[in-house]
Amino acid sequence: MSLLAQLKILVVDDTTTSRMLLRDALETIGFRNIAVAADGEQAMQVMMSQPCHLIISDMNMPKMNGLQLLHAIRTYKPTSRTPFMILTGNNDKNVLIEGRKMGLNNYLNKPFTTPDLKKALEAIVGRLH
Amino acid sequence: MILPGRPDRIHVIQGECAVSDKPEAVLTTVLGSCVAACMRDPVLKIGGMNHFLLPGEGERSRLNEAERFGVYLMELLVNGLLKRGARRENLEAKLFGGARTIQNFTDIGAKNIEFARRFLDNEGIKYTGGSVGGDQGRRLEFQPHTGKARQFLLPKAIAPVPTPEPRVPAPAAGGELELF
Repeated sequence: MSLLAQLKILVVDDTTTSRMLLRDALETIGFRNIAVAADGEQAMQVMMSQPCHLIISDMNMPKMNGLQLLHAIRTYKPTSRTPFMILTGNNDKNVLIEGRKMGLNNYLNKPFTTPDLKKALEAIVGRLH
Repeated sequence: MILPGRPDRIHVIQGECAVSDKPEAVLTTVLGSCVAACMRDPVLKIGGMNHFLLPGEGERSRLNEAERFGVYLMELLVNGLLKRGARRENLEAKLFGGARTIQNFTDIGAKNIEFARRFLDNEGIKYTGGSVGGDQGRRLEFQPHTGKARQFLLPKAIAPVPTPEPRVPAPAAGGELELF
């Protein structure tokens, strides 16, 4: 079994269609263990009950945006080192600057292709060892 | 783009999205096989329009890649409205465009319409009508404040609206993906 297939990944996005497409793309890449959450609160609940190895989160979400979720993830001890990637829609440099300070591992601008996503994730997975 | 002399007329070109909360704003576009979603929050009386074309045939047209581009523009519209205070549960949308213009062998318009309807369905956004399909291009005007949309069908004989090359997300170049 490939490494990716053993990893559990959490997808956080408020747009149902985006979640579906992301799941499809992740399955194409080789992930077999994919959890989804529609907002930051759900994401925290998932991470508390069934921790994942990796998190991909949309930036623009109501209630809690991607950076606020990152903050919550980093301040909760069991997930303080969980690799976290943000999907941003507007190429916002502030997200990147703020994210870096908070321990963001990678980011990807929307819209992206499946190979883009694969590359971005492999960069993080490579650094897991 | 704001045209000089008509400060509140905003033209939305393919691959773009505009949102306005000004009562006098008019969003306009010209559509062939592209689709435009006119979305608004009737309570706040704000709205916006996007204009997208899913990539057609070819290697890059695998469903997911193509749809991701449509989703991106739909998300821009939804997020633009939510940022201005709109409530997701209030959102409603009209759809226009998706014509089968003569030069298309495959009905790209139909694919665009199908995608847009499915998106609205998935997201629980109310579909309040519009005008899609047919074989004529459309010039469209949308007043976000009132929710009124007007379309003018373009004559078939003159020139079908050219279908611009869809902007497909380019493979990440070195600078696109920054690792740290």
